[in-house]
Amino acid sequence: MSAPAALLTDIPWPGALHAVVLRSPHPHARITALDVAAARAMPGVRAVLTAADIPGVARFGVRVADQPFLCAEVVRCVGDPIVAIAAETRAEALAARAAVRISFAPLPVVGDPEAALAEGAWPVHPSGNLLHRLAHARGDVDAAFAAAAHVATLRLETPRQAHAFIETEGALAVPEADGRLTIYAPGHWAEAERATLAAMLAEDPARLRVVASPVGGSFGGKDCLHAQPLAALLARATGRAVRLDWTREESFAIGVKRHAAVIRMRSACDAAGRLLAQEADLLLDTGAYAQHGLEVLETAFENLQGPYAWPAFRAEARLAYTNNGVSGAMRGFGALQVQVALEQQMDALAARVGLCPLAFRRQNLRPDDAPGQLGQRLVAPSHAGLAAARLLPPQPPRDAGRWRIAEGVSLVEKGEGFAQGGPNRGAVTLAVEADGRIHVRMGLSELGQGLLEAATAAACRLLGCAADDVAVGLGDTDRTPDAGPIAASRGAGIAWRAILDARPRFLAALAARAAALGAAPGLALGPGGLWRAGGNAAEVPLAALAGARAEGVAAPVETHTGTGAVHAAFTACGAEARVAVDRVTGRARVLRLRLVPVCGPVLSPAGLRAQMEGCAAMAAGFALTEELPAREGRFRAGNLDAYLVPTLADTPEVLCDPVEQIPEDALGPRGVGEIGLNAAAPAIVTALMAAIGRPIPVLPATGERILALWEEA
Amino acid sequence: MPTLLDGRSLPEAALSVDPFRPLLAALREEWGVMSARQGCGIGRCGACLVLLDGVPALACLTPAHRAAGRAVTTAAGLDQALAARVLAALAAERAFQCGACAPGILVALTWLLAAHPETGAAEAEALLAGQLCRCAAHGGLRRALAHLFPSPSHPETRP
Repeated sequence: MSAPAALLTDIPWPGALHAVVLRSPHPHARITALDVAAARAMPGVRAVLTAADIPGVARFGVRVADQPFLCAEVVRCVGDPIVAIAAETRAEALAARAAVRISFAPLPVVGDPEAALAEGAWPVHPSGNLLHRLAHARGDVDAAFAAAAHVATLRLETPRQAHAFIETEGALAVPEADGRLTIYAPGHWAEAERATLAAMLAEDPARLRVVASPVGGSFGGKDCLHAQPLAALLARATGRAVRLDWTREESFAIGVKRHAAVIRMRSACDAAGRLLAQEADLLLDTGAYAQHGLEVLETAFENLQGPYAWPAFRAEARLAYTNNGVSGAMRGFGALQVQVALEQQMDALAARVGLCPLAFRRQNLRPDDAPGQLGQRLVAPSHAGLAAARLLPPQPPRDAGRWRIAEGVSLVEKGEGFAQGGPNRGAVTLAVEADGRIHVRMGLSELGQGLLEAATAAACRLLGCAADDVAVGLGDTDRTPDAGPIAASRGAGIAWRAILDARPRFLAALAARAAALGAAPGLALGPGGLWRAGGNAAEVPLAALAGARAEGVAAPVETHTGTGAVHAAFTACGAEARVAVDRVTGRARVLRLRLVPVCGPVLSPAGLRAQMEGCAAMAAGFALTEELPAREGRFRAGNLDAYLVPTLADTPEVLCDPVEQIPEDALGPRGVGEIGLNAAAPAIVTALMAAIGRPIPVLPATGERILALWEEA
Repeated sequence: MPTLLDGRSLPEAALSVDPFRPLLAALREEWGVMSARQGCGIGRCGACLVLLDGVPALACLTPAHRAAGRAVTTAAGLDQALAARVLAALAAERAFQCGACAPGILVALTWLLAAHPETGAAEAEALLAGQLCRCAAHGGLRRALAHLFPSPSHPETRP
């Protein structure tokens, strides 16, 4: 890493039109009148577009295409887009926006997911407010509870969380001389973004080019389309380059969030501390549009049992439409919410049995050769036991002045890549070019997670070349093969497995080139080119091998035997947390986190450490300070003044102890962009639980909430 | 006094922007200078930090007219030798992930190194509290600060 890359939202484009969007001020309303004639006549204005001006498909989504590019009749959340405007200057665009004549008739606001699913609730969409429901049962749950020595119950609310990446959503759409349109915008899946934009524009996708990497922070928040559609629409309408950058306020209002959740758990064990039964109910508030809500619910559901063996299990999970903004993908992806509940249950049961929380977890691990949480066959189990073996038991709480110091542990697992049926295939092209470098190209994006470095390291390790020999090209539909989305911690694994697949053909192509140049047979790729065994330098430099290329595929890791959306491969992580709780203010600080990811071969130790440190801070935010509550469809915060993300001063000491040796592993390196967060947050929460001697029912555990719990105790 | 932007003279006409627009908007939208970034627009994230006559200022809260006749320095116009030293320390310790916060942090640290090289690492860390990094590359930042500011610090007493 040298100087930070210029971001796509920082490309200067003299003469680009400035775009702004007229958005709904109401959480739920019918548009009763809309007149843009006056706005169109304003000076400097080049386009004022409504839903009627969209030539193709009007809505987008992942599995449910329910989100209008521009709303025509009904707005379903604050910030829903209605009119897109492009003008020569931003001031002219804003003046035109003010000249749009629009009126609304407010509709009942569905502001709470429980109320959304109640009889007689106003439907946010004609299909009703229950967007998705999952249920699963195994064993005799009622008999198990009846026979149990100990039962722990918990109702936990987890907060809506803002991604709050520093680069807000934005796009630059540029008409090219040959009639094509290039869209530069931070994204996760250039190929799919192009397909959706082409459908909206009613154009052949080949007429569009989407450049989606690098991304100035995402954490899942730029996984779905954001500013691209309206920038593209305005560029096509005007024939001019158009820049549309969302303000932070727009990002807060209409950018996606982590799902707020209400989780109920009842968990039972016998007198010796063997788990007997787990019962759970999960309700997620997905807001106005589906986006990744269905997948988030499925991932949450899949993690309700953790890495533990439960003889009996019964659960239901529901996903509700409301008028509370839009929730979707965020690092930790649904699993996080249920893990902070389940790990508290483990501590509660351990305390009742009188066992150390770590010993209790160890004695209840699901064996590696057992089926997955929902009975699926596993291609690559998480090996959570390898993490558990390296954790140290938490020390009992102690007081130091006004601080109470307490420790907690956690043990979690999370699917690697997507569930079955998801876009799991990955691809890479390897090509030696005239610059003497091996160009590694994949249609994935660098988000700051370190994919450039991971792909470079994978190429070096698998091919034998040096880092200087490798140039990684990402996320550009004109230049990179479709590798599926960058999501679900899959980037590093895709790079590894696709390069591994391409390796024999690539090395054969190099050998064929070398033979054509008259080189002796039996040379091997090393730094700078092909080497003779025992040689002192490359005999055939890479530049002489230009033209050698090969394609590789990372085949999906799936079993096709499970029921529904389940994973076949998992990653585990254990965590130890130490917190200090101020006994006067109730405010907590995380002092130390030790993370033990079971991640297989580490491609970059510095990159792994960076991801674990970032996960630790985001976990501290989720557990202690960050929340974006909605009241009647309006968020309490609209910018970073009222929404507190962790700063340098809030970040704990982070230690990372990866498990690199995984027996009989079918996967290779696992991504580590999420799993550290999944483990760190529950460990912080179990440490808080130890500090105050009771479960934490509402996150974030702010000072006020901790004090109130202490007083109740 | 001409107005200097990253060492180059700004033509008089360039200054005819609305004087009460934020300097950041003038930089990005009028002058095509993208090396100060808009993160929040309300002075909370620090991504737009610039130097005005050598003094740190948040470009999102500074009216454009205050740049008239002064030297505006963004991350792209910093003293090259000092900025390279800062960047090398940050890069070696992995103090950036996505890099969106980098322009402000580069400006802050290059200024601190020039103006107050005797600062200790703990004080430097406290001064960086206004520079948000959502990737939380904070461990790397701390390690880089220890290299850049080796003077003894006077840490707070807390656990």
